[in-house]
Amino acid sequence: MTAGRTLGQFYPVTSLLHGLDPRAKILGTAALAVGLFLVDSAAGFLLISAVVVLLVAASRIPPGTFVGFLRPVAFIVALTALFQVFFSREGELLLEWGFVQVHEGGLVRGLFLASRILLLVSTAALLTATTAPVALADGIEDLLSPLKKVRFPAHELAMMITIALRFIPTLHEEAQKITRAQAARGADFSEGGPIRRAHALLPVLVPLTIGAFRRADELAEAMESRGYRGDEGRTRYRELRFRTRDALALCAAALVVFAGILL
Amino acid sequence: MNNRNHEGARHGGPPVVSCENVSFSYLDSGRPALAEISLEVRAGEYVGVVGPNGGGKSTLLRLMNGLLRADSGDVRVAGFDPAAEPFEVRKRVGMLFQNPENGLVAPFVEDDIAFGLENVGVSREEMRERVRKAVRAVGLDGYEQREPHTLSGGEKQRVALAGLLALDPEVLLLDEPTSMLDAAGRRGVLERLEALRGARTVVHVTHDLDERLDADRVLVLGAGRLVADVSPERLVSDPDLLRDNRLVLPTALRLAAELGLGPAQLRTPEDLAEAIVEKSGARAR
Amino acid sequence: MRIELENVRHVYASGTPFEVEALRGVSLPVEPEEVLGIVGGTGSGKSTLVQHLNLLLVPTSGRVLVDGADARTIRGGELRGRVGLVFQFPEAALFAPTVEEDVAFAPRRLGLSEGEVHRRVGETLGLLGASHLAGRSPFALSGGEKRRVAIAGVLAMAPEVLVLDEPTAGLDPATREDLLGVVRALREEGTSVVMVSHDLDEVAEVADRVCVLENGEVRAVGAPEEVFYSHPTTAPSTVRVVRPLRGPHPEVGRPVRFEETLAALKGLLEGRV
Repeated sequence: MTAGRTLGQFYPVTSLLHGLDPRAKILGTAALAVGLFLVDSAAGFLLISAVVVLLVAASRIPPGTFVGFLRPVAFIVALTALFQVFFSREGELLLEWGFVQVHEGGLVRGLFLASRILLLVSTAALLTATTAPVALADGIEDLLSPLKKVRFPAHELAMMITIALRFIPTLHEEAQKITRAQAARGADFSEGGPIRRAHALLPVLVPLTIGAFRRADELAEAMESRGYRGDEGRTRYRELRFRTRDALALCAAALVVFAGILL
Repeated sequence: MNNRNHEGARHGGPPVVSCENVSFSYLDSGRPALAEISLEVRAGEYVGVVGPNGGGKSTLLRLMNGLLRADSGDVRVAGFDPAAEPFEVRKRVGMLFQNPENGLVAPFVEDDIAFGLENVGVSREEMRERVRKAVRAVGLDGYEQREPHTLSGGEKQRVALAGLLALDPEVLLLDEPTSMLDAAGRRGVLERLEALRGARTVVHVTHDLDERLDADRVLVLGAGRLVADVSPERLVSDPDLLRDNRLVLPTALRLAAELGLGPAQLRTPEDLAEAIVEKSGARAR
Repeated sequence: MRIELENVRHVYASGTPFEVEALRGVSLPVEPEEVLGIVGGTGSGKSTLVQHLNLLLVPTSGRVLVDGADARTIRGGELRGRVGLVFQFPEAALFAPTVEEDVAFAPRRLGLSEGEVHRRVGETLGLLGASHLAGRSPFALSGGEKRRVAIAGVLAMAPEVLVLDEPTAGLDPATREDLLGVVRALREEGTSVVMVSHDLDEVAEVADRVCVLENGEVRAVGAPEEVFYSHPTTAPSTVRVVRPLRGPHPEVGRPVRFEETLAALKGLLEGRV
């Protein structure tokens, strides 16, 4: 029996950030992301870093857990930053060691690049950690709904996200079950080189995929039977209410971004 | 057609569900799935549908809620033609499927129950109340924020049932809703279905005769034809009918039949024990 | 082949907030050439237990013994070939283009010659009543047909012990009967069968011994009449009919299977002393 682990990085506690409207958070994250691409000074980066640290504190997510969210990108960040440090020839020469040269420009670029990526990932992580996946889907649908006028399938997109969220744990369990069943028939997923291993995955991938299609068929039948006809005449159970604090949060985000760019 | 096999109890009033000479074939099949079926179900009836696998039971239900369109003949449900106006029918007719997993669409129980209400455009305030009532009706108070993959099969099926009840349907179509459940899950679902008797019209397809021995009528579908339309008592007392349609009596009733103790009056194994005590007591006197 | 679980504990997700002790010290033998029925509700630990029989799951503490020796000393591939495990709804794992190929998967993995593989495929499909499906795609079959093919796929390993987790779940009564017949046939030719089921009537018809699992512990194990007649809440229909009669008529005995129950009840009604 799988324990009831919620999907992805969502960290379910009560906090200031958790309580904000998802739309405000999505827009705020987008603003910060844009800002991060336009910031080009140490002071700017420092400001945004300080803000991110404050936000992590406000989210009541344990710092250790949060750093864990960044681990997947740590390698890439280090790699790209070091690349800049050792191979950029801009600015004064600071260090020389054999044919390896470290220029001031490279150091600065490396640091900026590292900061940019880390801060970007941090803001995204903050978003997904403080917003329940369903709320996120609702927020996305709402924000994109004006686009429905130009026939952008905002509702369908949100529906796809919701259904994916619903079935990912189920498919995960299914994959585990099929893997064990094939292991019981003698399948070995750890032997041989990459090609052999890929081939060994067929007994899992084929039934999983076919099963997923069958599931989709049955789900479609069930949805249709319950009166689903796309977005036509549809109301919404969950309520998104934009309150003062959400507006304030958005303004604060905008201010921080401007300040960062100006600095 | 043998008249004795068509004497099921009849409620009064106009039919809520009717099929007249309905035929249907699947595209890749030579044999028709349903061949000139005619039947009627009246308001408040609880009708069981049994028969061998591939006999057309599931097809029949899907014609009733518009998932399939009949090749010929008339289908009318709750006053509408499901093929012509499926949305109107689905507002009034709920269908429960065999696989508990694939009937749940939302990541939380509450949201899933609300799904049907959202589709028909119920206002948000009203939705909250109806979801609450539906949760209570299936005995899942406290489960509102649970995620589907953490539920047992029986619980999932009850969530699906709640989703249907929230729409307050006139008719419920049940497609072998307990066949993939374990004993406890089955019990839980059947209990909730029991509470629906009389209040709504129910068509319950099952391959387990154990389940609906207290139905008002039982329809037997074999090879696409309506072979019998009888009372449950009549069905369990007719070994030919059972055998010809590959229907298997539950153990206690089989024992009763072999002992000549009339399976028609029995519901549980304990009932049979009582009957035996009586009969052997009578013998002793 | 005799398998024995010795004080097996199994804890899932140890050390996390989701820790669950699925088995709490289970000791249970599986004797050669018997049908062992394992019954219990959801969450009783049945599925966890059977996955220890071929060490697909390893005990958190305790041991699994095969013919007296620790099962871990046996090579994994060999053990899984001798103890065939069929999961619940096994048709979810069908994957090959034809039924023949799917059933051939496991024996091929055992390294057998093509001739031997072919022979086994034919034999097991025949036993499961699925010979006519050999060239078909597994995905185009009905539920009952898929189930037969999936079981054949494991049987093709010619295991000494076949473990079936809810083999008749979701099937119509006719197919269920056929599968129970297969279980009997297997026992006839010397294969042990461990059958996990929530359907007590089924277990009553085929089991030589019954084990009742509750909350990760063995509540009872023994001959069917022992277990079923002593446990008021765990009784198949036959026992439920006879039990109230044992007071006034102890001569009815403790029948469990349908035929013997029928005979006992007939005897009672005909006034035999």
